Amino acid sequence: VSIGDGALLGTLALLVAAALAGLASPGRPTLRTVAAVSVTGAGLAIVLLAVAVLGGAPVAFQAGDVLGTPPLDVHYDALSGVFLLALGVLTAAAGVYAAGYHGAIRSPLDGLALPVFLGGMLLVLGSATVLSFLLAWELMALASAALVFGPRPGRTVAGAGYLYLGFTHIATAAILVGFAILSAAAGTLRLDGLPAAAPALPDWQRSAVFLLFLAGFGTKAGLVPLHVWLPEAHPVAPSHVSALMSGVMVTTGIYGLVRFALLGLGQPPAWWGVLVLAIGALTAVLGALYALAERDLKRLLAFSTIEHMGLVALGLGVALVGQSIGSTVLAATGLAAALLHLLNHALFKGLLFLGAGSVQEAAATRDLDRLGGLIRAMPATAGLVMVGAVAAASLPPLNGFSGEWLTFRALLEAGELATLDEVPRFAAYLAVGALALTAALALATFVKASGMTFLALPRSPEAAAAREVGRPMRVGMTVLALACVAAGFLATPLIDGMRGVADSALAGADATPPTATVPGPIALVPGPDYGAAVLVVALVLAGAVAWALVRWRETRVRRSPTWTCGVLPEPAFEYTATSFEKPARLFFEPIYRAQRELDVEVHPGTPFPRRILYHTAVDHALESRVYGPAHRASIRLAQIVRRLQQGSLQLYLLYIVAAVVVLLLVNR
Amino acid sequence: MEAILLALSQVLVGIALAPLLFGITRRTKARLQYRRGPSVVQPYRDLAKWWAKDPVESETASPLTAAVPVVVLAAMLVAVLLVPLVARTPALPGPADILVVIGLLALVRFALALGALDAGGAFGGMGASREVAIASLVEPGLMLAVAVGIAAAGTTDLGAIAQRGDLLGGAGLTPGLALGVAAFGIIAVAETGHEPVDNPDTHLELTMIHEGMVLEASGRRLGALMLASWLKLVVVVGLFSAVFLPAGMADELTPVALLAGMAAAAVKLVIAAVVLALLDASLAKLRILQLPSLLGVASILGITALAAQLWLAA
Repeated sequence: VSIGDGALLGTLALLVAAALAGLASPGRPTLRTVAAVSVTGAGLAIVLLAVAVLGGAPVAFQAGDVLGTPPLDVHYDALSGVFLLALGVLTAAAGVYAAGYHGAIRSPLDGLALPVFLGGMLLVLGSATVLSFLLAWELMALASAALVFGPRPGRTVAGAGYLYLGFTHIATAAILVGFAILSAAAGTLRLDGLPAAAPALPDWQRSAVFLLFLAGFGTKAGLVPLHVWLPEAHPVAPSHVSALMSGVMVTTGIYGLVRFALLGLGQPPAWWGVLVLAIGALTAVLGALYALAERDLKRLLAFSTIEHMGLVALGLGVALVGQSIGSTVLAATGLAAALLHLLNHALFKGLLFLGAGSVQEAAATRDLDRLGGLIRAMPATAGLVMVGAVAAASLPPLNGFSGEWLTFRALLEAGELATLDEVPRFAAYLAVGALALTAALALATFVKASGMTFLALPRSPEAAAAREVGRPMRVGMTVLALACVAAGFLATPLIDGMRGVADSALAGADATPPTATVPGPIALVPGPDYGAAVLVVALVLAGAVAWALVRWRETRVRRSPTWTCGVLPEPAFEYTATSFEKPARLFFEPIYRAQRELDVEVHPGTPFPRRILYHTAVDHALESRVYGPAHRASIRLAQIVRRLQQGSLQLYLLYIVAAVVVLLLVNR
Repeated sequence: MEAILLALSQVLVGIALAPLLFGITRRTKARLQYRRGPSVVQPYRDLAKWWAKDPVESETASPLTAAVPVVVLAAMLVAVLLVPLVARTPALPGPADILVVIGLLALVRFALALGALDAGGAFGGMGASREVAIASLVEPGLMLAVAVGIAAAGTTDLGAIAQRGDLLGGAGLTPGLALGVAAFGIIAVAETGHEPVDNPDTHLELTMIHEGMVLEASGRRLGALMLASWLKLVVVVGLFSAVFLPAGMADELTPVALLAGMAAAAVKLVIAAVVLALLDASLAKLRILQLPSLLGVASILGITALAAQLWLAA
């Protein structure tokens, strides 16, 4: 038994233990702790598995027998390892966090669903057969849906849950059809047998499979226009589950796209790559815009997840474009960018969701207009979340920057590659602009999110009464914050590592004839990286100089009220989240199409206002223009169809008779 | 030894000269408006004054307020040393990536805007919210304009970009590069906070952007923030000259060549300062709602420039 096998079996055992303890835990604090510790252990074991797999030792495991096929049939390679690493670190942190988090296990079902959810993701990332993959995929979807619903779902939560279930099943259907076409051609249900069959398919069938995979896996990854479930479903789960959903579950969609669309369908035509670039750019920009306009902290984070998955899709688009002309060098840069960014995203988004959970637990609200000033009561949480905010805004020297840097590089390399057609090159350049816009919007979003939550005076009594959260929650967040800092400092080896994984994945999947392989005269020279370690050292040294200049012997600091034109400051003078986003709301009005209502009540007989009510909300055009009408139309259709189903036996007999008559007539 | 000389000359031109540039802009603007204006060395006196003073801190501020000037100044110092200004080699060892410089400017913006929210006054929030919203219009134009240069050079390494030739990478004035220069010009004005986007001299809180964000700062902390804002001009001019106008930069790191490089860099910086003064004196501030039209033009110029490079180059 190798380390990897041991780690995998250990993970499964710990997940079973966590499920049993979790099932019995409500009302029993000891068992809750046992469940949390088991989850943490499982996370560490997954990290071990990831390290073993990334070290070049694939891990395989089979169990069970259904109609001659083992339903549990997994094979982990280096590509899986990247996703496993994100899953492991986040699971470990979420486990520690859950030990102190009151909302962690709301019911026995929650206690069971979390380990099942984790197990589902673990198996999705290594499944070797179509059957095993789909089983794990559904396990992951249903368990996470159970966590979204919770024990007593109200109207909005149930709505979010059903929306999620609907989308995830349409997605599964698309994936299923894609697999069916491929495996019928290949004559096998083993996933590693499918790529060989793809090149023999007619072009339109290959493209149809690609589009099915793009829709199916893209839904899970939250790509526009199939993202609408994500900002509804992710925020209503408990925060450590939100962290796992936003950090890891969305990336299973990316995993599917990489494994089955990029590596599994032979040499792609260029338009696949251009399409993914366009979807990625649209997803990134819209996700960033809607995140900026959001006032619910967790919904804001969910939209930011959509944005970052858009950035990952840009890397994927470059990889497809590179594959289309057989330039594995360009494809490797694009794939490495996608992998690096999703790994980084898992770390900082996990941290931010755990932080949002802490804020909600401390202040009993996640409405940014009602928060504020929490940095005084909860300095540790504030500091940790601000680390996550800097990373999520993709600023150097933290880890968010390295993925974005590599994505920029990938796009610029695609734009530079002279052997490529002008259209994909121009698409890559347009994506550069979209990426820059996204980055700037993300900066605004995270200034707003962290500033409105932690700084200035509290905007509500709840926020004023907040207290720092317990030690386990802080430790869980600290682990991820340290990971963000470390991954930023170690950007150079990480970029190299991701390139290695991308190279090996692309070499393994090379179904293209060698004549089509252009040994990529890659234009962008020199440098595989941006010297992250030097940058960190330079920043620390410059920081020491600046500190000495500014703060050295700064002993007498006089305190005085903030300048508010001569009156004493109070929370009503502060900018709120709504006012903070106002300039951007006006700049991007054609997209937001914000509604505003102003209602002024005056004192009777005077012009003086007694109460001013201001309400503004952005219009999510896709929901209101496309999904809303489609939803209403499907309800109307269902009502028409329902007339057939009156519950009367005679009528049903009549249908049968009619059917028989029709059949007899047809087959006469 | 050469590296030390280079670093020293870059510090002299890049950092020591920065306050003078602001003084030149302000003085020129005043003369154009038939005022006498403060002396060109007034910014140095201001710095000395601020450094001698103890800070006043808002009662509602958290420890973040004290940390922001340190972060802002540190990031700006690194950015100034990363752009090739005096020589075609960046002053810091290791790769000097153009995207890192842009990232550092964003880090400065993040810290400033967050710090502005800390005291809880309306003016800080006003400045911060405008700054980040305008940045979202500026950033695409900046990246696209820079991408024109990157595409022409085939690298994101600033040192390598600056080594291509004296003017526009030695490629001559192709339509793509001309459009890129135009896009960068618009962006540079917005990025450095001059008319018609922001007014560095304003004393009316309601119209402030950068000044609004530093309204609560005082003493040495204000000095650090002001110095950082002046350094930003050096970084932006450094980016422009590395990408489009490396003429005059020292090819080798001998003392004589470095002196010539310093002179060339100083000339470029002073020209930029005077141009900004001309703009400040001749343009009124645009209504904030009209900024998308102006800054959107930069993005469109950038896109057109890249299209021109793709389709007209062949």
